Amino acid sequence: MEFDYLMTVLLSSLSSASILLIATIGLAVVFGLMGVINLAHGEFLMVGAYTALTATQYGVPYILAIPIAIVMTMLIGAIVEVLIISRLYGRIFDSMLATWGLSIVFYQLAVLIFGTVTPGIGMPDYNFKIGDYSLAGYPMLMILIAILMLAFVYLLMTKTVYGMKARASIQSPEMARAVGIDSSRVNTLTFAIGCGLAGFAGAVLLPIVPATPSMGFAFSIKAFLTVVVAGPVTLTGSFLASMGLGGGASLTASFLTSAAGDVFFFLVTAILLWRFPLGISAKWRRKL
Amino acid sequence: MAVIETLYKSSGLVFPLVGVVVALLLSVFIDPYLAFVATSWVIFGLLGLSLDIVWGRAGLLSLGQTAFYGLGGYFGSVVALNFAPMTGNTLIWALPAGALFGALAAALLGYVIFYARMGALQTTILTYTLTLLLWTVSQSFKLTVGKAVIGGDNGMTNIPGFVLGFGAKAAALGPNTVFATVVMVSAVVYFFSRWLMRGFFGRIVDCIRIDAGKTELLGYDIRKYQLLSFAYSGVVAGIAGAMFGLWANYLNPSIFSVQEALLVPMYVLIGGLGTLSGAFIGALAIGGLSFWLGGGVVGGQTTLILGGVLIILVLFLQNGILGAFDLLWRKFIPDANAAAKNNGAVKIDTAVLEQILKQVAHKSGVKISLSTDQVFKQFGGVIPVNKVTRFFEPGIPYSLIGPNGAGKSSFLKICMGLYLPESGKVKLGDLDITKMPIFDRVRHGMGVKNQKPQVFGELSVFDNLWTAAYSRTKSDKQALLISNQILDMLGLQKQAAVQAGILSHGQQQWLDIGMVLCLAPDVILLDEPAAGMTKQETRELSLLIRTLAKYTTVIVVEHDMEFVTTLAGHVTVLHQGEVFAEGNIEDLRQDDRVLDIYLGRRAHV
Repeated sequence: MEFDYLMTVLLSSLSSASILLIATIGLAVVFGLMGVINLAHGEFLMVGAYTALTATQYGVPYILAIPIAIVMTMLIGAIVEVLIISRLYGRIFDSMLATWGLSIVFYQLAVLIFGTVTPGIGMPDYNFKIGDYSLAGYPMLMILIAILMLAFVYLLMTKTVYGMKARASIQSPEMARAVGIDSSRVNTLTFAIGCGLAGFAGAVLLPIVPATPSMGFAFSIKAFLTVVVAGPVTLTGSFLASMGLGGGASLTASFLTSAAGDVFFFLVTAILLWRFPLGISAKWRRKL
Repeated sequence: MAVIETLYKSSGLVFPLVGVVVALLLSVFIDPYLAFVATSWVIFGLLGLSLDIVWGRAGLLSLGQTAFYGLGGYFGSVVALNFAPMTGNTLIWALPAGALFGALAAALLGYVIFYARMGALQTTILTYTLTLLLWTVSQSFKLTVGKAVIGGDNGMTNIPGFVLGFGAKAAALGPNTVFATVVMVSAVVYFFSRWLMRGFFGRIVDCIRIDAGKTELLGYDIRKYQLLSFAYSGVVAGIAGAMFGLWANYLNPSIFSVQEALLVPMYVLIGGLGTLSGAFIGALAIGGLSFWLGGGVVGGQTTLILGGVLIILVLFLQNGILGAFDLLWRKFIPDANAAAKNNGAVKIDTAVLEQILKQVAHKSGVKISLSTDQVFKQFGGVIPVNKVTRFFEPGIPYSLIGPNGAGKSSFLKICMGLYLPESGKVKLGDLDITKMPIFDRVRHGMGVKNQKPQVFGELSVFDNLWTAAYSRTKSDKQALLISNQILDMLGLQKQAAVQAGILSHGQQQWLDIGMVLCLAPDVILLDEPAAGMTKQETRELSLLIRTLAKYTTVIVVEHDMEFVTTLAGHVTVLHQGEVFAEGNIEDLRQDDRVLDIYLGRRAHV
């Protein structure tokens, strides 16, 4: 039936958009709260995926492997922040280049340690049907996960002391320091959280996107285009941008070819940047 | 001047020349395989040069250089494949075609970026998006143009090699001669680029990088210069791409890949950002490293090392190899900035000033006024300027005063074109300038001095003034004359060669004012010009403004009431975005309402 088919396509597009959002949120948090574009974001995703994979290979249940991945990526993120990022505040392009260097180091290390082909883990076996069409359950679960992640970040930023400090530090770094906020520690934590979110994304997406050294690469490009299109209002902006870009690309891909989906993504990005030179949320009055 | 100093100043000419000669000599007897590989390093260096023009000089990190490079390569190769059999020589087809196509692509993208006035980050991302888009599209793009077959993933084969001779018998060159040819072409492009970027064009491009807002306030259409520099970088990248096609005899979509795109900034960073020649050193270093590590092309463990090198470079060696040399060398030559300490006092010579002003007034003939009619500006719920109607003309200075948040600066920003009013009109004389871009207003006779001093810190004091004077006169001789006159007036003769960024805050204020004077404007807007000046300097400033006001329309926003009093002009009090009161300062001091909201009742006012 035509309606069922449309529903199926819509749902799977929504799920693709959610997957993009899951992969993007960590990047958006780091960009929004530190003004740093972390080009190694995708590689943190990969580290998360490999950590979860390795943990399950040692017999840890998948559901427990996810927190392990988060801790691991947060730890590496904190180290990277202290050693590299903290020296490059306010130099956005330098931090982009440095994190790009980091991303190729991580990539190459992953190739050395894990090789280029690694086994995925099976997708939890659950399907449901819409009319004659059958949909895998796990990707649909991602819609829920994306909503939960958004809610988590929103609450973290608005309801916790850390969130207040982090937002104060980005709005006026000198004033924040003047009232006694140790903004460098706040930044370390922010970056670690951003990386932890990437690690979570890598782990939770593992059944859909198998761990390979180059997996981060595919994600980070789209993720960081999404963040830049979103502009200064990170959370809402990223949500809208990933729904529009990711959902639109997925719809285009399901009606045409997957290359057409990519072309859609990049073209719409270019057009949006042209019409909104500072991001779609540049003139909004809300802040998150 | 010592030899070492002369050499320092022309190091961008001498050392590359030596490099070219050495490379040509080496091309005679090096191993053909090495010559073959080294050719690609030179081509990558040229690609790096194209980025350095955009990034090091125009100040925008473009990740789209490989896009222009790849497009130039594909287009140059298609043209060469089809037309070269007629002449034998391949270069005369491939290089112009590559240059043209690279320029067109860059100009098109640049038009979108600069005329939409995109931010720096968005520029980087948009250029990156273009590269990604081409990478995706080219993988499934199939087209046959005459003899050329573009086969998507399979790439384009049978691209002819380097042929210099003419006629059917002309043969492709051997690897050593190809190397020498590529070196020669690259040298020509480099020396031309150096000449271009050291001249007037390069000066304005530098100014835009340092302070785009100020450059526009001097009357330069910055979008035009940005677009031109971007298009020129497309030419350079296109030539590099065309040579790459001829060198490899084969092109495929990997030319647009992200790895390629991100290697280019590395070449520039390693060599030294903004040095132009550094890109070649960087490409040589990376190419040599890869060659030595055995990969030949970047791959394997080289990637790991390159990633680490990039991080270390960004963290510790920001200025690259040439930058480090520069720092070392400068210890051995006298420091031009040492003169910054022995400054003279500012002395406004009204005779000279009046002479300049009269000369200009004589030219334009009419006294130009500035008027606003019901201008209205709103930010969300805040209305900083609420239907203000004012008329300003030459004769006496006009001051705008009022409490913080009264809308003084916003009103000034509407007049200068930084804010577009929601309704109402701004007129310069009879000309409606409400929607005119800033640089155009300046060309029509407006001069603006913002609250913070805006000078081009990396340029010398004299060059700052010259750039301003040239904008109006369009003549080197007159610009020289005027900037020297103003320099004398500012008491900065001894610091003419000092970098403007070294000057003290007060001196920078004067230099900024001096630049406005160089424009000899008909209408002058000054936002808190006396901030940060000594008592004596404030007196000179007052004299300057009164002299200016005889011939031009002068509007001053000021908080310093003593200063406003010495101006002896017309005063407008703004309050909550509206005209609250007006008159001379003595009358306003008797006005109870003004005392309540602003001046206060203490004895010292």
